[in-house]
Amino acid sequence: MGEIILDVVNQRTAFPTKRGMLQAVNGVNLTLERGRTLGVVGESGSGKSVLARSIMGLLPRAAQTGPGSSVHLNGRDLTALSERELRPIRGREVSTVFQDPMTALNPTLTVGAQLIEGLRHHLGMPKRAARARAIELLRSVGLPQPETRVDQFPHQLSGGMRQRVAIAIAISCEPDLLIADEPTTALDVTVQAEILDLLQRQVRERNMAMILITHDMGVVAVRCDDVAVMYAGRIVEQAPVRELFQRTRMPYTAALLSSIPRITDGPHRRLDAIGGRPPDLIHPPAGCAFAPRCKFASDPCQGVMPALEGDERHRFACHTPLQVEAVA
Amino acid sequence: MRFLLRRFQRLVIVMAAVTFVTFILVNVLPGDVAYEMAGMDASEAEVAEIREEIGLNRPLPIRYLEWVGGVFTGDWGRSFINEEDVWHAITQRFPVSIELMLLAQVMALALAVPMGMISAYRPDSRADRIIAGVAFASVSMPSFMTGLLLIYFFSLTLGWLPATGYEPLSAGLWANLKPMILPALSLALVEWTVLMRTLRAEMIGVLQEDYISLARAKGMSNARILWGHALRPSSFTMLTILGLQVARLMGGTIIIEQIFGIPGVGRLLIHAVYTRDFIVIQGCVTFFALAFVLVNFAVDIAYAWLDPRVRQGGKAHG
Repeated sequence: MGEIILDVVNQRTAFPTKRGMLQAVNGVNLTLERGRTLGVVGESGSGKSVLARSIMGLLPRAAQTGPGSSVHLNGRDLTALSERELRPIRGREVSTVFQDPMTALNPTLTVGAQLIEGLRHHLGMPKRAARARAIELLRSVGLPQPETRVDQFPHQLSGGMRQRVAIAIAISCEPDLLIADEPTTALDVTVQAEILDLLQRQVRERNMAMILITHDMGVVAVRCDDVAVMYAGRIVEQAPVRELFQRTRMPYTAALLSSIPRITDGPHRRLDAIGGRPPDLIHPPAGCAFAPRCKFASDPCQGVMPALEGDERHRFACHTPLQVEAVA
Repeated sequence: MRFLLRRFQRLVIVMAAVTFVTFILVNVLPGDVAYEMAGMDASEAEVAEIREEIGLNRPLPIRYLEWVGGVFTGDWGRSFINEEDVWHAITQRFPVSIELMLLAQVMALALAVPMGMISAYRPDSRADRIIAGVAFASVSMPSFMTGLLLIYFFSLTLGWLPATGYEPLSAGLWANLKPMILPALSLALVEWTVLMRTLRAEMIGVLQEDYISLARAKGMSNARILWGHALRPSSFTMLTILGLQVARLMGGTIIIEQIFGIPGVGRLLIHAVYTRDFIVIQGCVTFFALAFVLVNFAVDIAYAWLDPRVRQGGKAHG
């Protein structure tokens, strides 16, 4: 067992809407060790981004965090800290890479200014040293001509280069935890692999922990150590990558996996899309939230919410789990 | 280069329109400068004689073109009333008016920016509602009324600042500024409201942007986020309004100069209008129009400073 960096206990996050409270994250537990990458997968609206923002404490003011929720980072409960007390932690111990590099960088500040401000604020570096470090960081994320790029504005860079800059900002103060929220969704396919390589290398070299949020099972398979599958604000299955792919138990995970096209599939084979729609999070069903879309659903699935159960390695929330042999 | 050329075209059109319309307007006013020159009890014949002498009987377009020709050769004409050279009269007084307007606009910004930020930071909070209330009260009062109230309070009751007067800069900075504070404030208290409301509206949008979240995720303080990250991208509309406000400010200056006894162009213009001294009126209006166009040109340049994307237009990658 490595050093535990992050420990999320019973995280519940809700937003008030006109129709009532929307329970975006509903009782999520997570632990993450140094040096490991956790993939959080799910459809749009499954609560994965809200979970990320809950960990960062970057929720909109209207959001409500449930009683009994806690986020321990390096042993300290972030939910108990004030905005002012969080400031030295944000960017220093936990940092983030957003989905869209087109909007995540300030259009009116140079790349260098946006890098340097963190270095000066968290590490107290003098201006000259911070600038030199900024150039070094830009080089380490593979930005060509860092000496010129450092004085350029975001609009002068391509999308991939901007995401490299965003990664440089995120790792600039050597955080322990990096949260990457769909970091390649907005990028060209050709650039996606490069950015994921870069993230993976940085995490390994700097011995950080990373949460990689994605809806792409293919990305999870190659880039992550562990996987948490989210559905309707809950984790429905959680295991190390190999285990999850080889011994899938939860029908939802299986459905996600079979919606990836395979190279061994013949031509013109129809993709297995998941029928139906994600549930209403304001009035969630009493039982398993996936039951209405699940071909294995039986009576208890409709009425009783399944708990996340199993052994330490592999947990799943399902009344009618798939037989391991059936999948393998 | 094309940008400058377009601007120059606009300048020519504005100036031609403004000066020609003023020329016509002054001419359709009842009475003319000949009455003023002839004196109270001059006969109609004497007035007509003067009119003939100074060329008032000639057709309007000819007189206009003559005046335009004069301006281009540096001859702005002489006042019919006191023979003062118009160029000299204006350049002597214009710095005073400019100082007043500049000071007013600086005060307006100094109020609008922090108040707009506080309002935008938490829309509909108590602070936002109080600021909005004060702002609407202050914009509903015309500047001359605000001016009179300020005089009553700060000059007559408290005795802190002079009610009227003007000191040149050569008398010292504070001596120069002191009598300018109340008149500038009277103008600023009307102008700041619109600036504040536009900044607030734009900043509320900017504060939702991803890059503001990222600044928060970097652990930046609220002050740093507001001043360092949000202010610049929120200032575009406010800057446009600022340029357009200059026109209203000039109108306000004319009145405020009367109330506070400030020897600026406003007073020169008012006196010229009373005496139908059209050559002076022409000069003043030309000057005001020129100043307005130049200020708005400066605003366009300031966009480039605010937004790097304007600066290197076209060079951007996707």
